[in-house]
Amino acid sequence: MSALTWMAISLGYAGFTALCLAMERHHAELFGKQAAAPQRRARWRWLGWTLLAVSFALCVQARGWGLGIVLWVGTLTASSLVLVLGLLPYRPRAIVPLAWAAPVLAAALWLALG
Amino acid sequence: MKHGFRQSMAWLHTWTGLLVGWLLLLIFMGGTASYYKQEISRWMRPELPLAAVDRDVALGSAEHYLREHAGDALSWNITLPDERAQVIEMYWMNPTPPEGASRRAAYGSATVDPRSGEEVAARDTTGGEFLYRLHFDLHYIPAIWARYIVGFCAMFMLVAIITGVITHKKIFKEFFTFRPGKGQRSWLDFHNVSAVLALPYHALITYTGIITLVFMYLPWGLSARYPSDEMRYYDESGNRIVDMREASGTPAPLLPLETLLASARRDLGGAAIENVAVNRPGDSTATVTFSAQPAALSKLAPSVMYDGVHGKLLERSPPPGGASQTYGVLYGLHMAHFADPALRLLFFVCGLLGCLMVASGAVLWAAKERPKHLKAGRIGFGLRLVDALNIGAIAGLPIAFASYFWANRLLPLGIEGRADWEANTFFLAWGAALLAAFVWPKRQMWAWQLYAGAALFGLIPLLNALTTGIHLGVTLPAGLWSLAGVDLVCLALGLCLGVAARRMQRWQPPLSAAQRRARAMAATESTHRPAPVGAGEGA
Repeated sequence: MSALTWMAISLGYAGFTALCLAMERHHAELFGKQAAAPQRRARWRWLGWTLLAVSFALCVQARGWGLGIVLWVGTLTASSLVLVLGLLPYRPRAIVPLAWAAPVLAAALWLALG
Repeated sequence: MKHGFRQSMAWLHTWTGLLVGWLLLLIFMGGTASYYKQEISRWMRPELPLAAVDRDVALGSAEHYLREHAGDALSWNITLPDERAQVIEMYWMNPTPPEGASRRAAYGSATVDPRSGEEVAARDTTGGEFLYRLHFDLHYIPAIWARYIVGFCAMFMLVAIITGVITHKKIFKEFFTFRPGKGQRSWLDFHNVSAVLALPYHALITYTGIITLVFMYLPWGLSARYPSDEMRYYDESGNRIVDMREASGTPAPLLPLETLLASARRDLGGAAIENVAVNRPGDSTATVTFSAQPAALSKLAPSVMYDGVHGKLLERSPPPGGASQTYGVLYGLHMAHFADPALRLLFFVCGLLGCLMVASGAVLWAAKERPKHLKAGRIGFGLRLVDALNIGAIAGLPIAFASYFWANRLLPLGIEGRADWEANTFFLAWGAALLAAFVWPKRQMWAWQLYAGAALFGLIPLLNALTTGIHLGVTLPAGLWSLAGVDLVCLALGLCLGVAARRMQRWQPPLSAAQRRARAMAATESTHRPAPVGAGEGA
């Protein structure tokens, strides 16, 4: 797997995690009712969309419009799968730490592979 | 209208999905496996050499064999190996066969060592090609019927996708929602999530699947414009170079293909060459056509044709028009020929998700229907039929796929029609699973069949190690991922099926609210434990 694919999956995962936490129900599940202030959730939403957009830009920049979009959509499916069917129902405490760690690790891999 | 729009769409979604669900599952599974068609074909011929060769050497090997064994052929066709599989696919057209000979006698083919051009005594198998053909030609029945049936299923699938999106009221609100362990609720969540997370893929693969055969389903435009010569349409729209020259009858030596390959690379701007077609080898009118490997989403790729005796460039394929290019991209998106290993894996995962979506939809129908039947005190005919088909397809098809690989390793090498027997094994195994499911469509049958599928898939690496020399102990250290991958994916599928089987076996029906209250009360009073409730009769 290329570093680009890992990066796109990581950013997709982090982006979806942010979008998930921007929703009142999921936010309350994880942080309790009190923390779910609308402003805070709006910030998560912005962050989520920005991360997905960065992933899109990276894919298109590296592979062009055709292949880049196909790759981006594929990584969106993979990353949302990890979140929705994997961690959220079974290991909810792990989703935020992984959302920080995954893009950092992917960036390290990217730099290591040049 | 008695019902609202959304209810009507929900009705349509339920019945279009259920009616074709089981066949769709076969189509989806076959199609998903086809992303690794070449790898599977290679894995199923363990006699082939392991060493990698470049395309120049491979072309030389193919040429060496063809000059020796098919020198009088009307044409040769050679597909060169790529990174995915070190296999030369080649066939030739024999000189006009005698009257009454079968159509098969018109063509010859051979499996050769890409390094030397010597014939390899590889086992007789259809390999991944069987699984690929299965997903649109089915088997045993004429391909034309099969393609109409598959097209019908695909149209229903498309209707089910569109009506599914309309029916799913909370598509954004429940985007991240999967609540396991809650019975019917969980099946609905899973069905929704498996559909929504890969929705672009499901819609694309279904639509482009229909598009690949669109000229069969909607032939009238083509037959109006090209009434007498359909092939000309395909040649023109596929920007193929057409070579209709007659043989002169004057023998002339064919140039070494290696020389022409170098020219073709130059004339095609350094593109990788995928296919070489030689017409009338040995005749003074011989031509050699080189086709580039498609480099982008479109399956269309440029080609060049040379005079086979003098090496002069005769023709270049014209640039494709807008309609051809559109068709080429849609076709290409279905075949995913452009996918590197990572993207191919993503396509494969999406394909598996498609299988799970179809399967969970069919299970959901049964889960919704069951309470009515339990209330009435007996399982009705409709639910029994759906239960049996669900078990026979969802748990039975993995048994059939795994059995196909087992047959490849275990059938004696010398038997007549060996490749056909591998395919027969697939259907015998599936037939047995379906039969068992119809006889006893209960929860235990789910567990048994899932366990059988788990064992058959999970033990493939072991079987491979016992019967061939291309097992994980060899392929992993050598980094032969396309071979090791087949073993590893089989192992992973076996593990997943095993987990599913275990959960199916241990499942207890969820308690109703009243039962929960009774149990809580009993616990607080700590007098005695309540009797086990509603021992699951339902599948």
